[in-house]
Amino acid sequence: MLVRAIGLGKTFRGPDGGPIPVLDGVDVEVKPGEFVAVAGASGSGKSTLLNLLGLLEPADRGEIWLGDVCVSRLSRRAQCPVRGRSIGYVFQSFMLIAGLTALENVLLAARYVGRSRSEAQPVALALMERLGVANRSGHYPSQLSGGEQQRVAYCRAVLNAPPLVLADEPTGNLDEGHAAVILSELRRLCRERGASVILVTHRADAAALADRTLRLRAGRLESGRGEGTT
Amino acid sequence: MVGIARLLPRNYLFTILGIAVGVSGLVALGAMAERITRFIDGGDRFVLGQISVAGEGMGMGTGFTAGGLLRAAKIEEIAQVPGVAAVQAQVMLPLNPTTSQFLTLTQELILGVDPAAPMPNRQFRELPVKSGRFLRANDRGVAVVGVDFAATRKLAVGGRLELAAGRTFEIVGVLDKTLTAPDRFAIIPLDDARDLWLRRDPLLVQVFAGGAGMGRRDLNTGAAVAWAEGVDPDDLARRIQAGVPGLNVTIPGELSRLLRQSTAFFSALLFGIGVLGLVIGGLSLSNTVTAAVFERIRDFGIKRALGATDLQLLREILGEALGVSVSGGALGVALALAIGTLVDARVLRDGQQLFLFSPRLLIFAVAFSVILGGLAATYATLRIVRLSPAEAIRRGT
Repeated sequence: MLVRAIGLGKTFRGPDGGPIPVLDGVDVEVKPGEFVAVAGASGSGKSTLLNLLGLLEPADRGEIWLGDVCVSRLSRRAQCPVRGRSIGYVFQSFMLIAGLTALENVLLAARYVGRSRSEAQPVALALMERLGVANRSGHYPSQLSGGEQQRVAYCRAVLNAPPLVLADEPTGNLDEGHAAVILSELRRLCRERGASVILVTHRADAAALADRTLRLRAGRLESGRGEGTT
Repeated sequence: MVGIARLLPRNYLFTILGIAVGVSGLVALGAMAERITRFIDGGDRFVLGQISVAGEGMGMGTGFTAGGLLRAAKIEEIAQVPGVAAVQAQVMLPLNPTTSQFLTLTQELILGVDPAAPMPNRQFRELPVKSGRFLRANDRGVAVVGVDFAATRKLAVGGRLELAAGRTFEIVGVLDKTLTAPDRFAIIPLDDARDLWLRRDPLLVQVFAGGAGMGRRDLNTGAAVAWAEGVDPDDLARRIQAGVPGLNVTIPGELSRLLRQSTAFFSALLFGIGVLGLVIGGLSLSNTVTAAVFERIRDFGIKRALGATDLQLLREILGEALGVSVSGGALGVALALAIGTLVDARVLRDGQQLFLFSPRLLIFAVAFSVILGGLAATYATLRIVRLSPAEAIRRGT
């Protein structure tokens, strides 16, 4: 098993200081090379689940295992290289850095894991070439369309070839054509590289590409094992 | 600076400008404080460099001593006091006799000195000459003027200066800026100064005509006394006072204290200006750097999501803060220099100089920018790294 989450729970504080439970005892298991979709209504905890699995914020309860390591118990400092080497994150709103060019944004992923620019740049350019944005490598995010920005963000997420890719509604701001490119790339990651992909989506066609779909309702999984689609 | 600017994110332009405004305020206020400090220190150095002596009484002359006519015989007596190295007779007159003759460092003065005698003041063995030359033995009808004195009258070497009706002097030298009293002096040979004094003071003419037994050598408003090596000037001044009757002797240490007391308000003002400059400049700079870091909180959240450690982030932010602070600091210094130069060019026409951009001030301003910028960036970074990457992204979006 690549990813195993046991009894994950997360509660936020509301504006009045009162608790807002978002996840409550969620168990997730994802095998290497598996493509899992997470569906559910807005506010059901999909993005929070992805954030916890991606170590972007700490869980209040439960454990997260990546392979044989309980990463949720690691110190904040020790979690940094795990995020950099083992997890790729594709955000709905791209999250590119405005002051950097497309290529510089992609290369950021290499910088924090100690890869040299000379070694990472050819890989980044090849990725960008495949995604059709190599000709935009010197452009800033504001000079790119939404589809181009998401493809650049995708390149950044997979530059270090992480075994786990988390995608939070990556097609939410894209038209059909660009959405199809991103979804087919995610699918390809699983099949050709054996990476595990967890995709949060509202789109039925996107969920249909997944090996199985987990449905969240009010912070709980409707079916602990999910439903297979392939 | 261009090299540093290239390394910085594009959106730091306004941060740099913000810092530049704060630093320019700090430098401008500091330069004004430096100017006043140099003026007060210059006066203090002067009075500590010689013992000033005048005759008993009051009101004959003007300048650094208050007292009556100092006759040649008294000068010779002073020269005999053990510990005295030299005595230089002087005539000090106000340029404009209608203005107050109170002790002042801003008054324009005519100083008559004997060019053949060495300058007795230990702090001003010779006055720096910017153009032309200083007075020489046997000079007559010539003048060396202070830089502000020359500027207000557009005087240069070779020009002529009228110091009394029908009595003009050729300018043979213009002093370099001293930022203190000599900047407003017209220095002429002693005998010429005595002539001017006689022309200006009808009472003196009557005294001479009345057969008071006085000669031209007795026409001195005072004398500057130099002491021998190893002699305590305050002790010597007291010995002169006790040993030569009929003198007003200033004790250098006491005069310095008096000068300090009389400029205590300015010293307090300087302190206030300095503190104000540091607070305004410091707040502006630290606020700008902190705001610039917090504005990019989303970017730092993204970087943390990509695996950046606290240390990597701190190094990155400190590097940027250093670049921004150095650029902003240097730009602020340049801005203050430009404004100061423009303002000084205007006020110099009135013989004034408002700013003194000393090297220590400029170095301090840039170092202050860098240190405060670094501290502000460290504070902001420590606040940011306490957030989870998701929280940082949420707050910055």
